[in-house]
Amino acid sequence: MKQARPGPVQYAVLVLLAIAFLYPIWWALSSSLKPATEIITSPLSVGAVTLDNYRAMFADVPIGTGFVNTALVLAVKGAMTMVFCPLAGYAFAKYTFPGKNALFGVVMLTLMLPTLVLIIPLLLEMSALGWVNTYQALILPGSVDAFSIFWMRQVIAAIPDELLDAGRVDGASEFGVFYRVVIPVIRPGLVALAVLTTMNIYNDFVWPVVAVNDTEHQTLQVVLSTLAQNVTGNRVGADFATVWGELLAAGSIAMLPLLVIFILLQRHFISGILAGSVKG
Amino acid sequence: MAGLTATTARRAAIGSRRLPRLSPYLFIAPFFVVFAAFGVYPLMYALRLSFTRWRGAGEATWVGVGNYVYLLTNPDFWASLGNSAVMWLLIVPIQVVAGLGAAVLLANARLRLRGLFRVAFIAPFVTPLVAMAQVWIVVFDEDYGLVNHVLGLVGLPAVGWLTSTAWAKPTLALLFLWKTTGFAIIILLAGLQAVPGAVYEAASIDGASRWRQFWSLTVPLVRRSIAFLVVVQTLAVFQMFAEPYVVTEGGPYGSTTTAGLYLYEHISASDLGTGAANSFLLVLLVFGLSLGAVRLLRPKEEVS
Repeated sequence: MKQARPGPVQYAVLVLLAIAFLYPIWWALSSSLKPATEIITSPLSVGAVTLDNYRAMFADVPIGTGFVNTALVLAVKGAMTMVFCPLAGYAFAKYTFPGKNALFGVVMLTLMLPTLVLIIPLLLEMSALGWVNTYQALILPGSVDAFSIFWMRQVIAAIPDELLDAGRVDGASEFGVFYRVVIPVIRPGLVALAVLTTMNIYNDFVWPVVAVNDTEHQTLQVVLSTLAQNVTGNRVGADFATVWGELLAAGSIAMLPLLVIFILLQRHFISGILAGSVKG
Repeated sequence: MAGLTATTARRAAIGSRRLPRLSPYLFIAPFFVVFAAFGVYPLMYALRLSFTRWRGAGEATWVGVGNYVYLLTNPDFWASLGNSAVMWLLIVPIQVVAGLGAAVLLANARLRLRGLFRVAFIAPFVTPLVAMAQVWIVVFDEDYGLVNHVLGLVGLPAVGWLTSTAWAKPTLALLFLWKTTGFAIIILLAGLQAVPGAVYEAASIDGASRWRQFWSLTVPLVRRSIAFLVVVQTLAVFQMFAEPYVVTEGGPYGSTTTAGLYLYEHISASDLGTGAANSFLLVLLVFGLSLGAVRLLRPKEEVS
């Protein structure tokens, strides 16, 4: 449809859509900076800016612990994904070995496995191992995921064999070829993988909420959800507005890091999403 | 001469790649170790568990297909599937149509500010679901929420967005739509941009109207992207958990107890045998639905 220049109607539709997508985010961020009572009495106004909601929230909720735990899980689980998935993708893309197709078939089959089916069995395994409320329970399951392997295989398959052979002629070991030849070439793909992995781990909720039930190990998302349950669970009371203020402050502070990463690295982010559609 | 040596060396390298060697197995080993430990083993365990009655402690009692029969004859189980089916109807058709419309507008090469629009549409996809679910609680609150405040300004009565059985599902569906439609737009846009412009030029020469072009050219050509989207979102809707868990806790009167949340309720009730059986029923259903969607949306020439 490259012919007609878009008219005012088309622009109006797109602008309205953009407002609909952005307004809830803006409303949450701006309301979190308003005096708590005003969130209720005049939800549309933008006026005095205060950090009271944030102060109250930090005093009431262990959100710092949540951030630390999420950062920890992100660092270890993310590192495992970033090391092992490109490596496995490389093996599937550039080697011929007995059993390769069957093994790759297994990888693809796990892509179809819904997350929910594993929740109960994994929880039982964790309790049998004594791993409920531990970091390893948050980190290890799903730490080398099939989708990332599949995606990295696609990316690495595009590298010409000659380049790898040249590396071998230079006397590099098998891992050396991967590290010194493959990694530099696929850097853009790796950045996209890093962005998408960060988003997935940071926003992960179902498994963390099941695997952890003490405050010490709660990830950020679990801390947020307990705060929300306090609100729905205890509606009446004079401090209703205060709780809302805290809720919006917590939600805002939780969404900021990813929004910043997204705005800085949007190109990589979009290519990350698109890589996922290839499997269709 | 030097070229010949290089060729020989390359041939040697290629030849040795054909031999079974240890390194590729070492490279893929981490996945299979993790999958065996946290995939295969728990799945096998759960399969056995689904034929027992076990409440998280003590001896498990073998009940055969008892848990499956219990679920399949339990109105609550069917109600949870029904709730998810309604959610699907409220989400997937709207998302495909709206997503395709927006993608067609964005695909126009002469559109200005396209990058800006794209960023705006994807921003919700990046926000943490739990955080936005909290915002939904506040915005759609019956007494003090933003939406009812605005309705009040124009003289309309307040609506129990999250407290009435009629509105709770659409309000949660809206959260899902808001959060993931940008993803749909990106997927469909990529599909559209893979359509060669020459196809449209030929159609214009043939005098096909814009609508004819859309229905008889664009839609069939992005069928693959639509199929992908429908499968992914069907999986997501039937596993929907965080939205009702955080916003409505499954209420009012169980009207937002989705299949995913119902499964979770077995865990909180420590009824793990039933929960395991429920997991497998859900997997079968989701597989069936995805296969059906793929079949329905497969391009015609591939249907044998």
